Amino acid sequence: MSAQTAAKPLPLASAKRRPALLLAEFDTPGGIVHACEKIRDAGYTQWDAHTPFPIHGMDKAMGLRDSKLGWIVLFMAIGGLSTGVSLFMYMNGIDYPLVIGGKPPAAWPASVPVFFELTILFSAFGAVFGMLGLNKLPRHHHPIFESDRFRAATDDKYFLSIDASDPKFDAKKTRALLESAHPGAVELVEEEG
Amino acid sequence: MSAKQPTGDSANRVPRIKEGGPLSSAWKIFAGIGALGLLGAGAGYATDSKRFAFAYLFAFFCFLTPALGALFFVFTQHMTKAGWSVTVRRTAEFFMAGLPIFTILALPILVLAPTLYPWIRHSAEHGAHHGAEHAAPAEHTSLEALAIEKSALAQDHAAPAGEHETPPNAAKRATTEDSHSPPATAGAHGSAVERGEPAAGSEGDPALEEAEEAEHAAILKHKSGYLNTTFFYIRAVFYFAVWTWLSLSFFRFSTEQDTSKKHDSTTKAQNLSPLAAVLFAITLTFAAVDWIMALDPLWYSTMWGVQIFAGSVVSMYALVILTALSLKNNKLVGDEINVEHFHDLGKLQFGFLIFWAYITFSQFFLIWYSNIPEETTFYNRRWHEMSGAWQGVSWALFFGHFILPFAVLLSRNVKRRIHVLPIGCIIILVMHFVELYWIVMPTIGPLSISWIDVACFLGVGGAYLALVFRSMTRHPLIPVGDPRLPRALQFEQA
Repeated sequence: MSAQTAAKPLPLASAKRRPALLLAEFDTPGGIVHACEKIRDAGYTQWDAHTPFPIHGMDKAMGLRDSKLGWIVLFMAIGGLSTGVSLFMYMNGIDYPLVIGGKPPAAWPASVPVFFELTILFSAFGAVFGMLGLNKLPRHHHPIFESDRFRAATDDKYFLSIDASDPKFDAKKTRALLESAHPGAVELVEEEG
Repeated sequence: MSAKQPTGDSANRVPRIKEGGPLSSAWKIFAGIGALGLLGAGAGYATDSKRFAFAYLFAFFCFLTPALGALFFVFTQHMTKAGWSVTVRRTAEFFMAGLPIFTILALPILVLAPTLYPWIRHSAEHGAHHGAEHAAPAEHTSLEALAIEKSALAQDHAAPAGEHETPPNAAKRATTEDSHSPPATAGAHGSAVERGEPAAGSEGDPALEEAEEAEHAAILKHKSGYLNTTFFYIRAVFYFAVWTWLSLSFFRFSTEQDTSKKHDSTTKAQNLSPLAAVLFAITLTFAAVDWIMALDPLWYSTMWGVQIFAGSVVSMYALVILTALSLKNNKLVGDEINVEHFHDLGKLQFGFLIFWAYITFSQFFLIWYSNIPEETTFYNRRWHEMSGAWQGVSWALFFGHFILPFAVLLSRNVKRRIHVLPIGCIIILVMHFVELYWIVMPTIGPLSISWIDVACFLGVGGAYLALVFRSMTRHPLIPVGDPRLPRALQFEQA
């Protein structure tokens, strides 16, 4: 016990600690799905579930709407396609018309592979960077890692975290709400600030 | 895992088409349509046997392709031990179970093969004149007939039998000829200029024509190891034997399990499916070459089999989704087939739609780019020849078979809205028929839809669908004995 305390850097006396989030631990997937439905119905917005594997029906239990990622990818795909088409049409059709392989200038079927590849390239960029952006990544640290308990999220425990920035967050009431879902443990995670 | 559980009702009830209930007499309606269609087709044969032969080939492929696609779906599901698709697999199995009837429906094609395939006519004549070889200039080979036939295509087909032209057309043609070709070629050959054929000059010059014909004869002689009548019929028997055997086997494995509930039916189906995959790939590819590509024996494309395969699979998904939806809308199945299954079928349909576009464009792209005359004939005929009669259909395929359904089916929400999804399926199905029409019919002339085409289409389609819907009334609508059924019932998109 004492070794564990010593290993952790002691907070400076002057540093203020403020609550970052409330963390509830569950032992079963059913337990966390049920808890998520409660939090969803209570109207919280800044919260998340952390599980070792995807759980069917979780989107519905959390009340998640469709991801915006599809629209980002579609927008980027159209951008990639029009980049390809206009690049080719301008260069080979207007700026420097050139007969290649006996084809007239701006013979578009020859460039369909280019149109296709640019569409895919832009879409892939949109998907990867859009996903990172929507997840607010990259970031160096998240207060949830202050909790030692949370390590089990990649092993055999299921966690629900409610961010302190949520407008409905209230240390006492929120804790009571979480406890009503019968979690294994509830922990208040603090961060320096 | 999730809260979704099959209700006790749907788990115990065996979904069937009940006597006198919805869809119970659908097969009779199809049988009636088929009988009327085949009667009409018979009248078509009596009127114009050549038109009938091509119209029938078109109709035959319209329904053979989704039936083969259904066989593909069934064995891929077994091969991958798929759990999600068990409930909808039965719908595909019904379409697969109709395959044996094509053995009978193929008879007109096999009998009229000499009308359809110029190489048969050629080999018959060539065999007769074997001693004389092909060099004798006076000899009228079928290739010469083919050449004349081709130039006749350029004439206005609206005129009966292509003999008499209406005065305005004749006048227009005369002016074209005056400005472009020597007066000696006036007549049937002159219109080659209009078509913009690169080889147009050879048609006017008898020496060049002979040389071209001799070359074609040499090519056909070279191909006669494959393109000869004996081997042609042996292959046809082989294809139908394989398709009948595979479809009956897979259907029996699945339906015997409905009552026996034994796992070894699933094992048998799994063990057969790799062999089925190999046989399917070989038979479909060679059948596509034998029955469609050989319509023009001098033309070839190594991607041909894949193109027919892509169309088969995408049209099958459209048919299976539409049929499963009608089962659901008629309350014949409940939650066993739900939005999750339609979503996945829709995804696969969308994927194979893109695959179709990829394959068909690649074939066009390579032929267009290399621009070798013997390869470009296929697209030239569907673009420039016959005054561009088929150009509109070519554009329609580009937009209707790819751009439009792509846009409709792209969104996840469309695939999950079972009132919107069928719109995409209907577009795909209709365009699949248009594609086959576009593949087969330009062989005989410009675009003109004849009642014989319609009669053949209804005849073959009615006969096939009657068999499909009849087996639907006799078996449960989902494989109730399949050990993976619970996985399909609980299936949910992650």
